[in-house]
Amino acid sequence: MNSLTARILHLQRFSTEDGPGIRTTVFFKGCPLRCAWCHNPESLLPNSQIQWLETRCIGCNTCIQTCPEGNLRRNADGSLRIDREHCLACGQCVEACPANALEMLGRTITLEELLAEVIKDRSYYETSGGGVTASGGEPGLQPEFVAEFFRQLKMENICTAFDTCGLIATTAFEKILPYTDWLLFDIKEIDDEKHRRFTSQSNQRIFQNLLRIAEWMPSLPHLHLWIRTPLIPGATARPDNVAGIGAFLAQHLNGKVERWELCAFNNLCRDKYRRLGIEWEYQNTPLLTAEELTALTEAARCSGFPGELIIPSGATRVPVLESEGEAL
Amino acid sequence: MATLTCEPPKAKYTIKTPYNLSPRIQWLRDYYFQGVKRRWNNEAISWTTGTPWDFQFEEISYYIVPETYAFFPTFRSCFIQNARPVKLHPDFWKWSLPERRAWFVREVMVNYMPHEILPGDLIAGARFNVQTSTCLNKAEAKQYEKWVYSKNGTRQAAKWFHDHGYGNAGCTDGHLIPDYARVIHKGWKDIYAELEQRYHNLSPKEQKGRKGAQLRAMLTAATMARDVAQKYREECLRLAENEQDEIRQAELLQMADNLSRVPWEPAQTFWEAIQSLWLTHMLIMSEENYPGPGLSFGRIDQYLYPLWKKSLDEGMDREFGKEILKCFWVHCNTAYDNLIRTGGNQGITAGYGQLLTLSGMGPAGRDMTNDLTYAILEVIDEMSPILEPKPNVRLHRNTPDELLDKIVEMIAASQGSPFLLNFDERSMAGMLREAKKANVEHLINENNVFEYAPVGCLENTMVGNDRSGTVDLNLNLLKAVELALTGGYDLIPYTDEMTGKTDPRIRFGPDTGDATRFQTFEEFWQAYATQTAFIVKKIVELFEQTERVIATFSPTPYLSCLVRGCAEKGLDVTQGGAELWFATIEGVTFATTVDSLLTIKYLVYDKRICDMAELIQALKDNWVGHEVLQAQALNKAPKYGRDDDAADEMAKRVMELWTEETWKHKTRYTGRQMRPGMLSWNYWVADSFILPASPDGRPRGKFLSNALCPSNGADINGPTANVNSVGKALGGKSKNGGGDWEKYINYLPNGGSHTMTFSPSILRDPEHRQKFKAFLRGYIENGGTALQINMLDADILRDAQKHPENYRHLLVRVTGYNAYFTSIGKELQDEIIAREAHRM
Repeated sequence: MNSLTARILHLQRFSTEDGPGIRTTVFFKGCPLRCAWCHNPESLLPNSQIQWLETRCIGCNTCIQTCPEGNLRRNADGSLRIDREHCLACGQCVEACPANALEMLGRTITLEELLAEVIKDRSYYETSGGGVTASGGEPGLQPEFVAEFFRQLKMENICTAFDTCGLIATTAFEKILPYTDWLLFDIKEIDDEKHRRFTSQSNQRIFQNLLRIAEWMPSLPHLHLWIRTPLIPGATARPDNVAGIGAFLAQHLNGKVERWELCAFNNLCRDKYRRLGIEWEYQNTPLLTAEELTALTEAARCSGFPGELIIPSGATRVPVLESEGEAL
Repeated sequence: MATLTCEPPKAKYTIKTPYNLSPRIQWLRDYYFQGVKRRWNNEAISWTTGTPWDFQFEEISYYIVPETYAFFPTFRSCFIQNARPVKLHPDFWKWSLPERRAWFVREVMVNYMPHEILPGDLIAGARFNVQTSTCLNKAEAKQYEKWVYSKNGTRQAAKWFHDHGYGNAGCTDGHLIPDYARVIHKGWKDIYAELEQRYHNLSPKEQKGRKGAQLRAMLTAATMARDVAQKYREECLRLAENEQDEIRQAELLQMADNLSRVPWEPAQTFWEAIQSLWLTHMLIMSEENYPGPGLSFGRIDQYLYPLWKKSLDEGMDREFGKEILKCFWVHCNTAYDNLIRTGGNQGITAGYGQLLTLSGMGPAGRDMTNDLTYAILEVIDEMSPILEPKPNVRLHRNTPDELLDKIVEMIAASQGSPFLLNFDERSMAGMLREAKKANVEHLINENNVFEYAPVGCLENTMVGNDRSGTVDLNLNLLKAVELALTGGYDLIPYTDEMTGKTDPRIRFGPDTGDATRFQTFEEFWQAYATQTAFIVKKIVELFEQTERVIATFSPTPYLSCLVRGCAEKGLDVTQGGAELWFATIEGVTFATTVDSLLTIKYLVYDKRICDMAELIQALKDNWVGHEVLQAQALNKAPKYGRDDDAADEMAKRVMELWTEETWKHKTRYTGRQMRPGMLSWNYWVADSFILPASPDGRPRGKFLSNALCPSNGADINGPTANVNSVGKALGGKSKNGGGDWEKYINYLPNGGSHTMTFSPSILRDPEHRQKFKAFLRGYIENGGTALQINMLDADILRDAQKHPENYRHLLVRVTGYNAYFTSIGKELQDEIIAREAHRM
């Protein structure tokens, strides 16, 4: 069994935003959706990519000399150009770079290695009621691995959470959910036409999967279901969308959803896009204002979904400070 | 999708302010913060016997503060110049030195120093900073000069040691917990009676000898607090007579009444207990001529609790009890008036540390939190930010949720945690290891180890019978790596900046061979181990030299009354009177050393990226012209602090090596056993300009690692990985039973300083506070002995750097101590800003 491997991006320890308690989040590589606002663009493709971190580069050109394909070049402004069309992501430049300015996004890890790594924080899982979260990308695209990973974690009495976009084979849920304690299920957009526009995919299967899961829930008594909705300015951050999702949840998953998180848009991933050489539509999009977030939360509360289970989270726009550093 | 979250905007620019202060306390606190502008202060006053050879300033106490070396002659002269004469007893010069000292200090404090009560104050005991005559006769003064100022004297030795990058050492005051509980519950009269008894039990020959002299000195000293109390009583009565306000008049009369009993008699009320504690405590600072250097209170919520409860039962208003404590808080801060006009740099002004301990484990793992614990936490919260006394809260597996909730709530409301946290399981493991190593299991064992308490910042000791000389020896472990690379030479010969003279090429360390010929890392390790043994031996030798001076010329008979063992042995505390008699070598530059060894192994032996000669040349060139190699050292080599088992194994190996070397040494002069600890005060900053470039990629001038912490920026796997590494470096937990305490192993009985910086967002809502609480509970399982938490936003600090006037009260933790951010040097400020903030 231990020959199982997975394509992952990285591990994040002391993660506090991906389920209850203190967690280690494993970011899996590859995602079926292409959300225009995606915060983890480096996780979209299953294959590896190379990225260059400007602030770390010492300009020694070791990488350029190392690349067997001659795919690296220095631009006139000193920045490094990666010929992504031809780059095979062999990793030789990453290995050679003395400053760790080149990074490999994506690696293959064995189940054994991954287990050894996540088990290091067992004490904190125990004291916090936390555990391990599979996130991404979409972990559900590697269902055999995730199911086995979770099964072994359960044998170690470690709590598991599965963070999914929902657009995966129903059989993947069938495999994974028996070993899942928390299911963090994203519903981004109620309107299918808009969903296609924002994410490049229809939302039909996502809702179908959710309904199937709701049917299974009586036989999965350990499963806690959290729904998460990203609030993206100019896209999903609309009262009608939030109200529609709320109404759907109230109608079809009555009493089954423990928590509905409304996650405010943030732009901390701006640099990730730049490094990958991708234009990002949301580059200059400001954060929601506190008023907007309140209004959306209000719309959610009026949707028929139990208000006490709605949790808005994330940053809102910083009001301009009148004077810096007020005197004591 | 992983949600990333920014900190809420309102966390920025919010600085903790005091609250719930009565007009009395508000006035006292505000007045205190007027600093030099105050009309009243507690600036040191100097006193002399009037002889031409007399002096006051004992520089050896300051050998551990290298920044002050250049000022020694100035300090010495100005205290001589300003000294006021004391009329001596006709027999003065016939007495032994301890008797002269005891009499002189007593005379100054009872009959010469003013006895004043600040407006509204509920506690008497105001001016205590003094520089008293060393009371040496001519022959003694001559001997002292030879031992200290001559070419082979301690001053030159300390300077050489520091200049050459080894660190520093000097026999220093304070840093212990006197037996305050005895004074409060039994009174000074109990101590006096014991001394009398012991003196009478001596044979006439012994009475005439050294033992007799010591006990007579202690008998004299044992009346000092009583007679000082009497003077303050008279002042209270005088003020009461002229007082128009009836309430204040009643307070003054009550204070006079309290002072008529304590500290001579046992305290009957909580108010009396605090009065007794304060007078007893402040007079130690007077006698040692050194304000509050780690002179600590111990488990104050334990030994004061019976009187707290009694007074509450008898009708004391709980808020009034806190009011008494708040007055005590203000008194503790006046220690800083000592050199009030001098200011400071690099946190020197924050170097005091009258530490008090709260909560913690009792017998059978029981938790000892009580109502006074909470009352004191309220006082801290309401008074913060304020520097003294420094609180340390002891946590353990059975710490109640209620206490943790309060602690996390206080951390959330402050810009930095207003207290240190100590962790009982790991700490007790270290104390029990010490008991075994030093054969003192009759004094420290399973049945009493939970009574331990930290002094100064986090240095664990036993209470009332223990002088462990914490921070007396501060050793740069990194020096051994340098000497192993060169075979015993300084990598860069030392040049004296004043004279411009450069050392001739002299081999100071043992000849461990030509490092460029070592075939394996193990060969290098052997050289490093030999050099480590050498630097440990070397620092003990320097310390012995200073200890001899202090033990011979600086008796402290008053303090000796308060340390169990001294009366019994008839031996001063400076000479080894205490039942537990240690000196602590604090290992500095730990992570830099570990990372340097890891880098040598990685670059030279494992990956063969460069050979040893190339590496040594790069270090000589301070990495200039070797930038690629430097980047590889910094980025490619493994580091301690990432929960990487192989790297952490190296950390443990380094720890085991140097601590074992430490246990091998005892001073010849007083039989003082060395023990290991890790508190690097500010040396990791200052000494970074002395130690040359190191193999971990650090150039000269870039800061060394701080105490037990991973090197700056090395802890890329987050706080839990950082904590796990620290725990492993201390020995971790035994896998097959047989730890020092249960499964816990701890190589550092003194404990080690561990600082972590978090972004305020970590505590932004109740759910995240619960997670942080769980993190602390996880720390109990996996971490070190002590944790300091900074809760800082780099923006706040940058703004504070630009506009210091707006941030006078902004407290930060440097290492084991607090400092006002705006009062510390620019380098250290930059350092704190650069420190990785753990974002969530």
